Amino acid sequence: MILRTLGLALTLAAAQATFAATAGQSAPNFTVADTQGKAVQLSDFRGRYVVLEWTNPQCPFVRNHYNTKNMQSLQQRWGDRAVVWLSIDSSNKSGWDYMKPDKLEGWMQQQGAAQKAVLVDADSMTARLYQAKTTPHMFVIDPQGMIIYAGAIDDRPSTRSEDPPQARNYVQAALSQATDGKPVTTASTTPYGCSIKY
Amino acid sequence: MLRPPTLASALLAATLLAVVATVARAAPVRTEHVEAELVAERTAIVPGQPLTVALRLAMDRGWHTYWRNPGDSGLPTTLAWKLPQGLSAGPIEWPAPRALPVGPLMNFGYEDEVLLLSVVSAGRGVAQSKTVALTARADWLVCREICIPEGADLSLTLPVAEVASADPRWSAAIASARAALPRPLEGFSTNALGAGRKVVLTVAGKNFTGDPGEVYFFPYAAGLIEPAARQTLKRDGEAWKLTLAVANQRVGEFTRVAGVVTASNGFAGQRAATLDTPLTGSVVAGPAPAAPAVVPLPLAADGETLPLGVALLLAFLGGALLNLMPCVFPVLSLKVLGFAMHGGGRGAMRLHGLAFAAGVVVSFWLLGAGLVALRSAGAQLGWGFQLQSPAVIAALAVLFFVMALNLSGVFEFGRLVPSSLAAWDAKQPHLNDVLSGVLAVVVASPCTAPFMGAALGYALTAPRGITLGVFTALGLGMASPYLLLAFFPRWRTRLPQPGPWMQRLRQLLAFPLYGTVLWLAWVLGAQLDNDAVLRLGLSLLLVALALWAWQSRRGGASRGWTLATLASIATAAVVAWPVLAASTPTEPSRSAARDSGRWQAYAPARLAQLIADGRPVFIDFTAAWCVTCQVNKRVVLNSKGVQDAFARSNVALLRADWTRRDPAIGQALAALGRSGIPAYVLYRPGRQPLLLPEVLQQSTIEDALATL
Repeated sequence: MILRTLGLALTLAAAQATFAATAGQSAPNFTVADTQGKAVQLSDFRGRYVVLEWTNPQCPFVRNHYNTKNMQSLQQRWGDRAVVWLSIDSSNKSGWDYMKPDKLEGWMQQQGAAQKAVLVDADSMTARLYQAKTTPHMFVIDPQGMIIYAGAIDDRPSTRSEDPPQARNYVQAALSQATDGKPVTTASTTPYGCSIKY
Repeated sequence: MLRPPTLASALLAATLLAVVATVARAAPVRTEHVEAELVAERTAIVPGQPLTVALRLAMDRGWHTYWRNPGDSGLPTTLAWKLPQGLSAGPIEWPAPRALPVGPLMNFGYEDEVLLLSVVSAGRGVAQSKTVALTARADWLVCREICIPEGADLSLTLPVAEVASADPRWSAAIASARAALPRPLEGFSTNALGAGRKVVLTVAGKNFTGDPGEVYFFPYAAGLIEPAARQTLKRDGEAWKLTLAVANQRVGEFTRVAGVVTASNGFAGQRAATLDTPLTGSVVAGPAPAAPAVVPLPLAADGETLPLGVALLLAFLGGALLNLMPCVFPVLSLKVLGFAMHGGGRGAMRLHGLAFAAGVVVSFWLLGAGLVALRSAGAQLGWGFQLQSPAVIAALAVLFFVMALNLSGVFEFGRLVPSSLAAWDAKQPHLNDVLSGVLAVVVASPCTAPFMGAALGYALTAPRGITLGVFTALGLGMASPYLLLAFFPRWRTRLPQPGPWMQRLRQLLAFPLYGTVLWLAWVLGAQLDNDAVLRLGLSLLLVALALWAWQSRRGGASRGWTLATLASIATAAVVAWPVLAASTPTEPSRSAARDSGRWQAYAPARLAQLIADGRPVFIDFTAAWCVTCQVNKRVVLNSKGVQDAFARSNVALLRADWTRRDPAIGQALAALGRSGIPAYVLYRPGRQPLLLPEVLQQSTIEDALATL
């Protein structure tokens, strides 16, 4: 009895292992609830391209991509071509930046966002699983479940509104090349932005 | 008589003051969290002479701005000059940053106040006797829990003159900021050696024998060195070696290690140095795209560790339970036998108990110190690491065999040692207790008792003082039964009275020891091959012969027997030499290869693939030399009930065999917060992996599977 109780304590004390996800590797599976409370599992989208967008409406870098409609137009353009776009907010529930699911949903609607689902990763577990570092931090996954792009959204780390339209957008490039059957020329870059609020 | 000032004169005075202030010092710009201004070292610009100008940023308490490489997130501060004809400004000369942890991430930047220096040069053609305005747009990202992009248009107006005097407000601060700028180390050599996921940066000074204190390396480029990974420093003669982790997601070519290294006590007085050295050896990215691998986040970064009290308690319990493990039991029996035989007064018994405890605790300290030293040298080792060496296994087999022969009555220790030494031993009865404490720890090492894993994992990642505490608790736990017997004599009366039965018991106890020798021979076979087992067997035979010959020596023809003994020992050593000299093999051990059926050999890529496929995965971290592992495997894991339960839940079974040294397994264990085996983990799709206790029961597995 004592043994079992202590065993349980041990199990609880034990920490979780996580995986770095980088281009060329298979994307770790996850299940996270969306803003409607519905469980979304990555493996359900096997056979389609998936974009993971780490987001946080409190982050000026994220806001710049939404204020300039850059993010929404990407979501729209690729959503129309059957790409599954998942936005993930991994701000920890205990932190400043955490937004309740309805608030987060409201903000996205106000922005005219067009992703498939907004996921609430309030324990930051999915961010840990992907070793996501910043908002935005982007991953593109191919229909076989391999990560074909990981890193920044574009080549202009800034919060200036003139930058997103002029920047070289890595997600756009990766999706265009991959869907044309070409190799992705830039498969990994260093992400920029605010740190994810673990 | 003073007249009250008129409104006009007051206005005039205020305007004059404002003008004076503007000339002397451009007013600082206050943003939400930063005060920013341009300041100059001297009061005027002299054509043909460089002038140091600083962007001074004073951050609110708790807020920071960024270095040229911001680390995991953030943006470097930028300064865009707009200068009149004839003037030019150099780039920002970055002071050494500080490492600013943000959760599991790391930023490089500045807190409080920073002076970012630039050198402004005025050509000889700049007209004299007029003023010039140095203007610049400064942009920075200032962060605490949140980040705010801020910026300001700054201006500093200075007269152009033939001579300039130092500006008393800023010259000292700018001069000391310039003196503190990182610059190349003189009289030091540096090199960088890549080895897999690590880069070892070596800094050595010819005559530098001091201690640099805390050392940290800030890379100029992103995507090469993992910013948040722990950097470990160790001394190697006159050289200091800093071990860095290659970025998990590597971006770009990694051919040079360039950046700023800081040392709290300085390298020969220099606290910040630039270095740029070619990378030799070869590196793979944390998990390189070419060789997919699973690199877990270090546990320490999670901020989830055991409380110290719990770790000490677990260590104590683990130590106590160690006594019941199959590999320790023979020694336990010997010791209990000793207690049954000892008559002696109360005080004498206490001294015996304390001496034994001292032997145990000191041995644990030595083991712990050795383990910490090897790990800080970068070796992926855990508890029981010594048993990954065939030489240690062979030596233990000989030790157990000699102990067994002694119990069987083939020889007496007293006859082995010269009489002078025997007499000394009689005068030092407690030395015997200390040594049996040491012996107990030596034979205990194959076993990780329940609860020890978590405590050891904790100990090895904790500061040195806590590590020492945990190992002390472990030793005290192991010694506790004897200490209790020694200090509570009434409990001793429960032990049977000494008598002729003791001789028989002694002989009986030899058999578990012979069994242990058989097991060690099997382990050696798994590590090396059949030949090694035969060589060990022959050596044991010769050792037995030698002991028998030595025992017979006193009966007459002493010289012949002595020669026979020495010849046997020498032959045993020659026969055993290839085994003792065998380097530790690193390829997967044969025992893993033999395990087939539903178990597959563990490989990080295979685990990643299974997880990506959405399958639950169970990993058995095991080794031939780990008795607890073998018991769990035979009694629980391979039982029909458990195998059926795994099949029902469609669990993929992986076996990580650590009989031989394998850094991938060491790393996987470290990620689980463990440093030793057994370890059992169930990966659940989309959820945290579940770590199971070290002593398994069928119900433990079933309960875990029920959470899928």
